[in-house]
Amino acid sequence: MKKLFKYRRTGLIGSPYKILVLNIVAWVIGVLWITPFIGIFMTSIKPFREVVLHGWWTISPFTFTLKNYVDALFNPMFSLSRGILNSFIIAIPSTVIPVTVAALTAYGFARFSLPIKKYLFATILFLMAVPQQMTIIPIFFLLKNLSLLNTYLGLILVHSSWGIPWITFFLRNYFSLLPVELEEAARVDGATDFQVFRKVVLPLAIPGIISASVLQFAWVWNDFFFALMLIFDPDKMVVTQMLPRLKGQYQVDWGLLSSGSVIAMLAPLLVYAFFNKYYMSGFRGWAMKR
Amino acid sequence: MAKGVRMENIWKIFMPKVIALKNINVDIRPGEFFVILGPSGSGKTTLLRIIAGLEIPTRGRVVIGDQVVVDADKGVFVEPRDRNIGMVFQNWALYPHMTAYDNIAFPLRIKKLPREEIDKRVREVAEALGIAELLDRKPAHMSGGQQQRVAVARALVKQPDVLLLDEPFSNLDARIRVTAREFVKEIQKKLGITTILVTHDQADAFAVGDRVMVLRNGEMQQLGVPEELYGEPANVFIANFIGDPPMNIYKLSIDHPMVKQLGVLEEINEDYKEVYIGIRPDEAVALPLNEEGHLTGTVTIVEYVGSRRYAKLDLGNGISMRTLLECRADHGDRVRIRVYKLHIFAPDGKRIRTLTLVH
Amino acid sequence: MTQLKITPKRISFFIPALILILVFVVYPIIATIILSFNINPIPGVNIVERPPGFENYIKIATDKRFINPKGIETHSFPMGAIIHNVIWIAIHLPLTLIVGILFAVYLQYVRGGSIIRSFIFLGMVIPMIVGGLLILFSFDKDLGVVNLLLKLFGLGFLARTWTIYPDTALFSLILGSVWLWSGFSVTMYSAGLSSLPREVIEAAIVDGADFKTILFKVIIPMLKPVTLTVVAMTILWDLKIFDVVYAATQGGPGGASMVLALLMYEYFARLGDYAMSATVATVLTIIIIPVVIFWIRSVIRGEREV
Repeated sequence: MKKLFKYRRTGLIGSPYKILVLNIVAWVIGVLWITPFIGIFMTSIKPFREVVLHGWWTISPFTFTLKNYVDALFNPMFSLSRGILNSFIIAIPSTVIPVTVAALTAYGFARFSLPIKKYLFATILFLMAVPQQMTIIPIFFLLKNLSLLNTYLGLILVHSSWGIPWITFFLRNYFSLLPVELEEAARVDGATDFQVFRKVVLPLAIPGIISASVLQFAWVWNDFFFALMLIFDPDKMVVTQMLPRLKGQYQVDWGLLSSGSVIAMLAPLLVYAFFNKYYMSGFRGWAMKR
Repeated sequence: MAKGVRMENIWKIFMPKVIALKNINVDIRPGEFFVILGPSGSGKTTLLRIIAGLEIPTRGRVVIGDQVVVDADKGVFVEPRDRNIGMVFQNWALYPHMTAYDNIAFPLRIKKLPREEIDKRVREVAEALGIAELLDRKPAHMSGGQQQRVAVARALVKQPDVLLLDEPFSNLDARIRVTAREFVKEIQKKLGITTILVTHDQADAFAVGDRVMVLRNGEMQQLGVPEELYGEPANVFIANFIGDPPMNIYKLSIDHPMVKQLGVLEEINEDYKEVYIGIRPDEAVALPLNEEGHLTGTVTIVEYVGSRRYAKLDLGNGISMRTLLECRADHGDRVRIRVYKLHIFAPDGKRIRTLTLVH
Repeated sequence: MTQLKITPKRISFFIPALILILVFVVYPIIATIILSFNINPIPGVNIVERPPGFENYIKIATDKRFINPKGIETHSFPMGAIIHNVIWIAIHLPLTLIVGILFAVYLQYVRGGSIIRSFIFLGMVIPMIVGGLLILFSFDKDLGVVNLLLKLFGLGFLARTWTIYPDTALFSLILGSVWLWSGFSVTMYSAGLSSLPREVIEAAIVDGADFKTILFKVIIPMLKPVTLTVVAMTILWDLKIFDVVYAATQGGPGGASMVLALLMYEYFARLGDYAMSATVATVLTIIIIPVVIFWIRSVIRGEREV
């Protein structure tokens, strides 16, 4: 009889049967939800012929193959292994630069009094909402004139600049929640602004900095539009922009495309998995303005 | 009609190992203002929530009136909404997006009472509690005291059989507390509703309670009227917990000179090697040396608490005592201490005797 | 907290950001607006050869790819990029809100609910280009989940590759985008739920409210700030959508799933008409402005309440 109460977590739901059904339904929904991921993965590790004939969900016949991955990674035209390398070459500096620059700016916003602060703030929010399409044409010609078109540096500069508004917004919120007393003590001890920033604030802000970095890295890696518009050499292309080109003109080769998709989403998924705490707290902190 | 609340053999164990309540048995009389007093972690809030139906006991049962509202062994459970109780939460728990009127009307709207009836009752309660002008305001625009009254109104508007209060005064400023206590006590007397209040503040408990139950680590220490708890504390814990300034308590071996000076030896029958002796500051006086007394000490500090003067005294051998001061004395003066009442506790903490010393 | 006075030295904290933003963000925005009027933003660099004026805006208004009155009248696709975006919002936004709040509440009570929540969130983690491919995959006639489910329920005769038919291309993308974006609303509402004071809900229980009443009369109203954020972010995302459409349908078939951002790209890359491309971008931004204002106002209001 005690079992009657064992499943009651809230007291509002009712009989244990109802709770069991609710649990089962939820898990069915959960599994259904990730079916596309399962499907694309299964397609990538089976020969495409087999998938076409028998579907990706069958267990027999089941031929495990890495051919799709080999074809994608070492593709003659758009080699994804090169693409991954390029994605890293772009994403890492495009994370370090804006986080550094934005941290300085955010600290200034949090601690220095600026007459026009409210307007600057509104401008930042506006810049965060503006579509990439609104800036790309002049950027294209600007980079062209600077001979930075189709170069790593050009794309890195664009990504860095694009990331500064939202990272500033995010870190400013974060800094303003840190206790001021420590900084004041440091100032009394004789530290300059920059020293206070470097030695007192930054160490305290590390979780926030990691969150911002993790999100920026994932965002840059996932970007498609800027790369599409500013990079043309296949050996400089990032992995996301190579994917549609693997699609094929007439027939969609899902074998190739599925393995390519898995490869392309691996890095952000791993970042999400390993830095999950920072990823999620960063996500919530950015979208939920406090 | 007021209803009593009976708790039988209540146990609450939070898996896997936390025993929150141990075998609680209480019989709360109809119309009584009953206080559950205890430090944090004593299980008092858990007990209140069990009565409300927000927690389920691991064992035992609760009866309100003559209805069994929960019986852990028989698998009986009545939902909070069907127990006809009103509850005031520690943080008031008012609905922030509703006006005071809507907050109070909420339980009645749920019962689907007609609009005129709801309006009548809400205004009645608001009038009785002195918040009629606040009905259009939202909680954010009210003071703590006002919010509390709205919370009480919401609890009372459905005319419950039992009123539950969870630390209702702890969020209030010290000055408002006294008023709030009186207010709650008056309302309770007027309505005659069985009321159970949970608090960690002994002053609150004594100000309003008809009877007080002291809990510690889930176990009942003592149950009685405030005078009993004050004058005849059942054990050292209660003796120390109740009373301000706190009782002077000493753990002394039988051979300690103080034991003889106080005339305690004759009162102990058993073979104890040590005893606890408790003397309330209000029940001992520091007098000039030539007066009659039991002990002698040196004044270290003179304190004012309210209208009284207390002296902190050094009796030597690391023993200090706080007593009333009824003569002129300064730091360093030697004084005579006359003890009017003392309590003797066994080594396990339980009270053996209370002595009234006549001199 | 009294803040520190601004000094020339302190301004240096802002300089690097200022330079990068001015050069790569602010100037390009202004230049795009200028270009949309057929004016060369950089004198000497001939991007556009037409006379300056509103010509492009008039052209856009009559461009069938932007808005197709015939399609709207006959309720058949394509209806024009701007209509497609509006339809996107009209379907995607309510679904996102409903899925968000329902699942957030539901999964609180399920064992391992947080795992299911992270399943739902995966769509937000992956590149949107992959998201588009996953949608394409899911709606495929033979390989897609959608058709597998239809077959499972005996509706196999309905199976087709939904993304290649003009009547269903946009809708399949929109449904797919619900699958991708719901992680956002579920996460936001979950965070909101766990920050609700437990006592208010318990007070409602004691007051006698049942689950439905508590959900609609207490929980949802108290989550209004979350709802505002989700609404603003979702509308912005729906207006700016690009990668998903590019990957899955390229705006086809025949423009049936064209969206504004993609239209801008078409003008730039396929037609080489930079000025028109700028015009489309500007129109898109103009549409976004009211949403941003709404969002900024609710942000500032939220700050004031704290």
